[in-house]
Amino acid sequence: MKAPSLGEFEELVLLIVASQHDSAYGVSILEGLEKQLNKKVNISAIHVALKRMEEKGFVKSRFGGITSDRGGRRKKFYVITAFGKQALDLQYDVRTELYKQIPKISFN
Amino acid sequence: MALPPKRALQFLRWFCREDYLEEVEGDLIEVFEKQHEQSPSKARKKFFWGVARHFRPEFMKALKIGQNSNSVIMTRHNLLLTYRNYRRNKVTFLINVLGLSTGLACSMLIYLWVMDELKMDKFHADDDRIFQVLEIFDEPIGLRVNETTSGQMALSLVEEMPEVEYATTVLTPVENITLSIPDKNLKANGQYVSKDYFNIFSYPVIEGHKDNIWSKSRSMMVSEDLALKLFGTTKDIIGESVAFNQEESYHISGVYKIPSSQSSFQFDFALSFEEFAPDQEWALSWGSTPAHAFVKLRSGADVHAFNEKIADYVQIKREKEKRFRTPFLAKYSDRYLYGKYENGAQSGGRISYVRLFSVIAIFILLIACINFMNLSTARATRKMKEVGIKKANGASRWSLIYQYLSESTIMTMLSLLVAVAIVWILLPQYNEITGKHLTLSLDLNLLTSVLIIVLLTGLLSGSYPALYLSGFNPLTMLKGKLVRATGETWARKGLVIFQFVMSIILITAVVVVYQQIEFVQNKRLGFEKENIIVFNREGITEKEDQLETFLLELKKLPGVVNASSTSHKLSGHSWGVYGFNWEGKDLDDNTHFELVAVYHDMLEILEMQMVEGRAFSRSFSTETSKAIFNQTAIEHMRLKDPIGKNITFWGKEYEIVGVARDFNFESLHTEVKPSMILLKPEYTDQFMVKIKPGKEQETINGIADFYAQYNPGFSLDYRFLDAEYQSQYVAEQRVASLSQYFAGLAILISCLGLFGLATFTAERRFKEIGIRKILGAGTFRIIYLLTSDITKMVLVAILIALPISYFVLHLWLTGFAFRVDLQWWSFAGTGLLAICIAWFTVSLQTSRAAQVNPVDCLKNE
Repeated sequence: MKAPSLGEFEELVLLIVASQHDSAYGVSILEGLEKQLNKKVNISAIHVALKRMEEKGFVKSRFGGITSDRGGRRKKFYVITAFGKQALDLQYDVRTELYKQIPKISFN
Repeated sequence: MALPPKRALQFLRWFCREDYLEEVEGDLIEVFEKQHEQSPSKARKKFFWGVARHFRPEFMKALKIGQNSNSVIMTRHNLLLTYRNYRRNKVTFLINVLGLSTGLACSMLIYLWVMDELKMDKFHADDDRIFQVLEIFDEPIGLRVNETTSGQMALSLVEEMPEVEYATTVLTPVENITLSIPDKNLKANGQYVSKDYFNIFSYPVIEGHKDNIWSKSRSMMVSEDLALKLFGTTKDIIGESVAFNQEESYHISGVYKIPSSQSSFQFDFALSFEEFAPDQEWALSWGSTPAHAFVKLRSGADVHAFNEKIADYVQIKREKEKRFRTPFLAKYSDRYLYGKYENGAQSGGRISYVRLFSVIAIFILLIACINFMNLSTARATRKMKEVGIKKANGASRWSLIYQYLSESTIMTMLSLLVAVAIVWILLPQYNEITGKHLTLSLDLNLLTSVLIIVLLTGLLSGSYPALYLSGFNPLTMLKGKLVRATGETWARKGLVIFQFVMSIILITAVVVVYQQIEFVQNKRLGFEKENIIVFNREGITEKEDQLETFLLELKKLPGVVNASSTSHKLSGHSWGVYGFNWEGKDLDDNTHFELVAVYHDMLEILEMQMVEGRAFSRSFSTETSKAIFNQTAIEHMRLKDPIGKNITFWGKEYEIVGVARDFNFESLHTEVKPSMILLKPEYTDQFMVKIKPGKEQETINGIADFYAQYNPGFSLDYRFLDAEYQSQYVAEQRVASLSQYFAGLAILISCLGLFGLATFTAERRFKEIGIRKILGAGTFRIIYLLTSDITKMVLVAILIALPISYFVLHLWLTGFAFRVDLQWWSFAGTGLLAICIAWFTVSLQTSRAAQVNPVDCLKNE
């Protein structure tokens, strides 16, 4: 079976999920992304990416406890799976490998 | 704590799938709350946006309306059964859908046409307050309604009658005028109108200001079309000057627009009547009736009271004792549909065609619907076993009713879709035949009525199996021992008969209408109209001393047989006069005589025959004081030995030198009018040239070249006299060609029904045929067996239809002064045709059934 693909935005979200290990949920990912990218992101885009990755098996999720915040709604926390880490590694390797192959170019 | 917008939240909860909802909602609320501390309004906006962005398939609930509900499963099952049923009986299915959809398409086309006719001229604002002033002339032969009135009428009505808000005089026609700008000239038709014209008729004035159109002298209003033709634009042309017949020039003061498909009045330009009239004595005299007058009453004014008030108006103005001309108001927008008057009373007009076609539409629709019902009910009896099994398995009666009703409505809906497609495809051709600009727009009336009709047809045709079959005991049904109700067969036979009655009426109508039109077109009119071209006397040829020279030159051209000039276009009423005297005249007799002013040779060109006396001739010098009358006129004047008698006309004596055979220049709806022919070259305004047959185009080209050279600045704009004459029958011809199509369709639909029915009977009597064949019945015996029923039905239909069609057609023909006699054979022929068509249709099916091998019929039980 072909390994499921990992889009650019999905990769970013997955990286954040991995970095915020076990405490990543919608809004925290949103904030992390906005800080890193320095631009506004809509929460729906993150939800779409998370749902897709969950389907592909890159992340798994669980509900947190009930609090009085967020209108009483539970948070849904996401954790990266081994398969997801593998996909990230693969992506990383491909990139660095390609990056290394760039000859020294001078831009002046 | 700030709450997020309720609506958005409700919406989110409505569409979002439940396993995602909590997370999505929570996240959205958290983002909202954080944002809310900085800017509440922005937060709200963002919340809405966030919800909207979630509205995508991944987050939506699956469509699961009644996923497990019984009714959904049953509906799906029923649909499947319907589909399989149709697949198994493709022919019946096609016949059914085709029949109904052609019927629907026909009626929709007719509906579009009828609606368009009814809308004609109704677009003017305050349509209910715009009237035309007509006059009733009290003549010895009866009351005659005249469309025109005095030029003064409108002007004095608006001055003297407080009920009148605006009034305008319109002088038409100003036809075939050559308009030119420096490098272009073209022909146009216009009219003289007095100042309030555009206040009464709401033709939108798109350039110039409505209130100061006529403020300068020599102003001209042009239509958008003409402006485009002349200047290529409508912008910035105000003030441009345009030469009128190469003589006077006018400047453009505005541009108006005529909604071409909704206005029966079309004119290219308008000039000021006030400017034109003072030079023309007749234009403002109360004695002559050259003008149209239109008024707009104040709101609330009572027309009947007003009509009574003005009944004596002309009499008072003319200071006469006896009332001869009685003016009255008729609604302007009615003139298109109700333009005909008989003996002073309104007697229809185009509305009769509108009614006729509405009736045809209803007929066709009925035929198609009946057909549909007939076929579906006939087929339904075959569903007996199906119903039996379903009931045995516990289907409730309601579910059966639901099934059959939905099945038939689905079918009618399908036909409706096909019908709309047919209409859409045929509309361009249909517009060509009808001469209209119809479009298939989303008309709410049409939509609802069509939907109702379709639903009704569906429900009615589905109701037989739904209500009747579902009520039986499943046991008897499964045994196949159902006694067929005689009522049912009777109903079906009745429907077939009804269908054929209508088809036969339509066919006879078409035959007779066709005969009448042929008759009209071939009737000898009393003058010869073939190979004659007509064009205006204009420019240099208008000079009196140029007439003879021009005609002489013209006659020298190759292909020209003869040429002369006349005042009468010989296709429709031109110029009526009254008030001349003859020996023994009743002084109250104010009958209009048609005045035909001619130049030498005209009567020879038209090949008019003299029953007494002679025609005008160049060999006599005093011909301008001679007169020729037609037979009707002489009869009316009760003159014995008319030749040599004198009459006085407009203060001058004329001697009668000849009596012409009656000639009919109007459409044959009307009787021959009394006419007087005078040799008056100064009144003649058009040329008629007889040309040799065979080389028309060459001859005309020759004339055109000569004309352009002889009459600089003008170009030859000719019409053929016979075509002009025929144009009086445009309405009839359209009706004739349309009714041919529709009658053809009606019979086609009926035949489809018959065919389906024959198939059905043959199938049902399959076993019977087999047994009969085994017992020795021949093919013809069997064909007879299957055909005799249908023959009986068609015969009954013929018996019913022929008297009805005779009556209806007789009525229609009374509208013509000259008409064909209704021939018995055209009715007999139609009847025979109907039977033949029926036999042919049925034989397609029966011959096959009769030739079947009896073994095939009987081997299965």
